[in-house]
Amino acid sequence: MELDYDLAFFGEMFARTFSFWWVILPSIFLGLIVGAIPGFSAANTIIILLPLTLAMDPETGLMFMVGLYASSRMGAGIPAILVNIPGTAGAAATPLDGYPMTKQGRGQQALAMSFVASIAGGLLTTVIALVSLPWLSQIAFYLHSVEMIVIMFFGISLIATIAAKDTLKGLIAGFFGLMIGFIGTDVVYETPRGTFGFLELYDKVPLIPALVGLFAISEAFAIIENQSILTERGKAAMAKPGWAATFEGARIAASRWWHITWNSLIGLVIGVVPGAGAAIASFVAYQQSKTYSKTPELYGTGHIEGLIAPESANNGVTSGTLVPLLVIGIPGGATAAIMLVVLQFHGVTVGPDLFLTSPELAFGPFTAMAVTYTLMILTVLPLARYMSNITVVSTVYMAPIIISFTLVGSFVPRAYLFDMNLALVFGVIGYVARKTGYHVAAILIGVILGPLMETYFLRAMKMSQGDIMVLFSSNIGNTLWVLLVVSMALPYIMDHRRGKSEKIAANDPYG
Amino acid sequence: MAENADAQRAKPKSIGSELIIPVAALFFTLYYFYTIIDAPWTAQVAAFIVGSILILLVVLILIKSVRSLGTGEGTLDFSNLVKPKAYVPKRLSLLALTIAYIFIVPSLGFTITTFLFLSLAMLILSDWRKKRFIISLSATLSLGGYLLFIVAFKTRFPAGPFETFMKGFL
Repeated sequence: MELDYDLAFFGEMFARTFSFWWVILPSIFLGLIVGAIPGFSAANTIIILLPLTLAMDPETGLMFMVGLYASSRMGAGIPAILVNIPGTAGAAATPLDGYPMTKQGRGQQALAMSFVASIAGGLLTTVIALVSLPWLSQIAFYLHSVEMIVIMFFGISLIATIAAKDTLKGLIAGFFGLMIGFIGTDVVYETPRGTFGFLELYDKVPLIPALVGLFAISEAFAIIENQSILTERGKAAMAKPGWAATFEGARIAASRWWHITWNSLIGLVIGVVPGAGAAIASFVAYQQSKTYSKTPELYGTGHIEGLIAPESANNGVTSGTLVPLLVIGIPGGATAAIMLVVLQFHGVTVGPDLFLTSPELAFGPFTAMAVTYTLMILTVLPLARYMSNITVVSTVYMAPIIISFTLVGSFVPRAYLFDMNLALVFGVIGYVARKTGYHVAAILIGVILGPLMETYFLRAMKMSQGDIMVLFSSNIGNTLWVLLVVSMALPYIMDHRRGKSEKIAANDPYG
Repeated sequence: MAENADAQRAKPKSIGSELIIPVAALFFTLYYFYTIIDAPWTAQVAAFIVGSILILLVVLILIKSVRSLGTGEGTLDFSNLVKPKAYVPKRLSLLALTIAYIFIVPSLGFTITTFLFLSLAMLILSDWRKKRFIISLSATLSLGGYLLFIVAFKTRFPAGPFETFMKGFL
């Protein structure tokens, strides 16, 4: 696809998009709220608000949806940092270092860091996506079923090694999650598998009850052991409120500009692959950040890079998912799929022709995203100071609030009472997992990837007529297998080398 | 201080509770295999590959656990799950209230059930202190939830007598 647009065109597009500030601003605040509440993803909210977006003209509707999408991604990190409950699965890696920071009384600083990383990462990747649309869209063409299966294994292995202190326990949690994700009828033969006879499970395990149970319910049952989620040092730090922590957080995040750039690019590339999503991107970013860090031992204890990496990556995904939607008409995620429905309702055909016939619609989502992130600098960053106050609320009040509001939130997507029971079952699994060192994030990512992995397996098997060696039949796939093995082995090798050099340094009489 | 640290280090691991997830995973995998036994091979492959890896991982952790038991580094108990014991009654009460919430919410609706749940749970967790504050807080939160989610967002929350009554006014 040849695109011939100059800077003046893009300048005009940005100016035009800024004139929609009256649509984008409310969508930012709505997105922050729905992103922060488990069960209210951007996709669900856009579905609920379809009568509104369908009544708007296509361009205004797109501005609204894109604003909501981008801000909800950032909103999902807020409860992940403050109360260890990610708003969506894409923020599942955020609490690994964000929540320990909150416990230390650095919640406000952590929020500011997360906002800067999200805004900078989102803004940067949007601009890159805009100028490299034709090339980025090619990525999806190179990844077929086999490559996607390896990517899924990659995701699970990374999470297993990152999220749990014991890799064996992490792998068990991840693969258990995958098996749970296989529950339901298969897409080709429609045979029910592992459903325990429940009709409600025929359509796979719904993600919201799994997220609510594993993170929110289990956390609520765990936090009642203490009066506050803050440590004694954290309480002392929170007793001195002010703007300084916000500025300091923003400054620290800005000083890690290279880290933000690199991780948001990882998010962008993963976002372009349909189905891969923010959850994988944030864990891949976390893993590579830890692997190449000079202080990997600090990850999981409230480390700055451990927070910045997943937040910049999952916001990089946001613009990435729009690339295949607009260029080849394949939505990169659920929200992008709903945008496609709205565009089709208005008679807009998505694809290469759109860039020639309606450039304002084709480039509009990217400029809207850039404007959304720009407006968020002014509107969202100052909120960090006030949002962090939630951490001083006693667990006596917090635990029942978390249970009641998230439990009923699990009912919302399908309106099945069964889903509330399911959330409780996942809550029990999550509680046992938390208490015994099996990280809940690994189980959740398994549940998310299970159905996708199975679909790709079925396709690969169908094409190869049941030959399992098809898994090693592609060059890209084989390269990914090698990378998978290397990524599993690299942390051990680097640990070993680090230990060796420390030993040498310790024995050096002149050192 | 140092003695305490030594005692902590010497304390055997609670292996029993650490095996709950692997054993549950093992039984679920075997049940899953049973449900796909008649499915075509192409539909079995994913589950067989992932399930077999999972079984292998479970076997590895079982071997590790038996070794720990043998060397005295671990014991076959479940104390990890109930620690600290002082909070067991509160945790069980919260669990009972959560189960009750799920069963009552279809008939009483979101607002009334949430008010009852929040009041009772907060009173139990606070040892029945600050009753007036807790009841006002619960009322504010449940009404706020009703206004935000049901009135403003038009969300499909379970409806009961309160929601039906208010529908007549809105």
